[in-house]
Amino acid sequence: MNPLFNDDFQEFPLKRALAQVVSKREAGAKVVGAYCSYAPVEVVWAMGGVPAVLCAFSNAPIAKAEETLPVNLCPLIKSSFGFIELKTCPFFELTDAVVGETTCDGKKKMFELIQEHRPLYVMDLPQCPTNEGAVAYWRHSVNGFKKFLEETFATTISDSALEESIRECNRKNRLVERIFAFGACKPAIITWQELYAVATYAMSAQGPEAIAQLEGIIATLTARREQMQFTSKESAKRVLITGCPVGGDVLKVLKLVDEEGAAIVGLDSCTGLKPYANVTEEGSGDPLLAIAKRYLQIPCACMTPNTGRFEVLKQQVAALKPDLVIDLVLQSCHTYNVEAVKVESFVREELGTNYLKVVTDFSQQDLGQLKTRIAAALEMN
Amino acid sequence: MTCQYSELLQTTEFWIPRATGVSIKLAGIDIGSRSIEFVILDRENHQVLDRFQAETSINLSAQLSLIKEKYSWDGLISTGYGRQLAQKVLGGAMITEIKAYTTAAHHFHPAIDTVIDLGGQDTKALSINRTSGQLHKFEMNDKCSAGTGKFFEMMAGSMGLSLDQLVTEALRGNRSVDINSTCTVFAESEVISLLTSGVALADIARAIHEALLTKLVSLLSKVMRSDTREILFVGGGAKNRAMVQLLAEALNRQVTVPQYPDFYGAYGAAIHAIKSTQQESI
Repeated sequence: MNPLFNDDFQEFPLKRALAQVVSKREAGAKVVGAYCSYAPVEVVWAMGGVPAVLCAFSNAPIAKAEETLPVNLCPLIKSSFGFIELKTCPFFELTDAVVGETTCDGKKKMFELIQEHRPLYVMDLPQCPTNEGAVAYWRHSVNGFKKFLEETFATTISDSALEESIRECNRKNRLVERIFAFGACKPAIITWQELYAVATYAMSAQGPEAIAQLEGIIATLTARREQMQFTSKESAKRVLITGCPVGGDVLKVLKLVDEEGAAIVGLDSCTGLKPYANVTEEGSGDPLLAIAKRYLQIPCACMTPNTGRFEVLKQQVAALKPDLVIDLVLQSCHTYNVEAVKVESFVREELGTNYLKVVTDFSQQDLGQLKTRIAAALEMN
Repeated sequence: MTCQYSELLQTTEFWIPRATGVSIKLAGIDIGSRSIEFVILDRENHQVLDRFQAETSINLSAQLSLIKEKYSWDGLISTGYGRQLAQKVLGGAMITEIKAYTTAAHHFHPAIDTVIDLGGQDTKALSINRTSGQLHKFEMNDKCSAGTGKFFEMMAGSMGLSLDQLVTEALRGNRSVDINSTCTVFAESEVISLLTSGVALADIARAIHEALLTKLVSLLSKVMRSDTREILFVGGGAKNRAMVQLLAEALNRQVTVPQYPDFYGAYGAAIHAIKSTQQESI
């Protein structure tokens, strides 16, 4: 079976993304680190910069982080902060500036602790996205970020550059969506490792090279489908992963699903399809407003009401036909943890699909129990 | 609000006289954190042909090899946290203890839809479809030993009592004090503090049970239906008479404890083995 990427990074999607960032930086691009899907990357690309994801998923730097941060904090925040303290995050070390958003309380206050390391802009994100004035206010935040980049790097980001960047991102995002749509094939023809690799790659890739790469992946997947090259058994149970972002050590949950012989056919989170869904209006005459509107549609649990999450789940379940939805909640992520109450009843009762909530961190301490819970959920009919 | 200890495995409910000929022996083994339960059932009449229970050894592999030498069977299914090692040593298939408990519970008590299993390392609440016998939903305790059998063991130890003595004391005790934590470390501090302030041993023993009761009720409330009238209480923890009584009172429902509550994982595995061979022979 042909791999989706023909390069030296087969098992290392993060190294592939890092290579993208390094090559663009060497070509003169400024690297803007981002902690969230709400970071409007169109503005970074329009400047000629490159975005780099700084969210970390390794357990290794957490002990260092806990010298400063409370223990009962989200592991993603502790891991990201610990890496900065240890100066061992290659992505952070490459950044020229950092953008944050007021999504959750832990991140918001963590940004205050790292602002001495890099020029930092924190975008104020309205959390009642359907309230009057939310889009207009968020447009101010997007504009503030644009002005921050212009001042920090003594440059100008024109409306036409923004329009071009919107078109490029839309084009790329539609290709990523088409790749994720192959998850609907039964038996599966794409693995979660491949979905994750595509999502990771597309964050720091842009332009003709990225388009050619993604179109090549679509061709490979089309060939797999036509030649019936399956990545799972026909009888394999199908799983959709929703909830908090995943990566690194928390991929333990996804690996446990593999161990049980099931196939993960969808990743509905910020490290999956979420940052690539929705379309930014092109040629609107106000690109900042168009960007603001699109980003405010991202269905993160920090929003209330977060109706978009349920619409996306409905579409994903209809398209991918999973036997089980695993709602992966990182420890101390109150918004996803509380939203799980509604997600569970929606998935079970409205969508008629089995549901399992998993609350975990980046350690290995709960592996045995997780294995039993995931295996038991997959044993259910 | 009654506690019913049914004389399971001695009733005629599922005891059918053995057909002539050599019986086909199907085994189930449940390897828990504290104990191993092993049972061999007759494929045709489900009669228990052999059973034993032992503490889980540190050298589990050697312990399993001994079982393999001593017993023989025609098919075996392993369950419990040691199921993977058991499968390697003993062969056969494996299922999770959640499936095993569901299978045994529905087999022996088809009218019951809610099960609580209080084990040594974890606690599970199951909701079973009474018609199909399929598991509808399950909940487990958090990853630590809070709210499990281990909690009792630790608390008895910190009071200088055996487990049996702790239960006997709890049955005599009054609800005069609260223990707020089911974390074994925090609860131990609370117990010592109560002991040093002169609170009666029986009342502290009762408070320890009440603390764990809160966890059990919380887990059960996530799976229990409004029309659930009877709860099946299994696992080693179901042998704790004080806990059974308190649970029945707290839920205001009948709590049924079978004769061998700690064997339900092994029964479930063996019954599953029977079903598997029956499906194969169809």
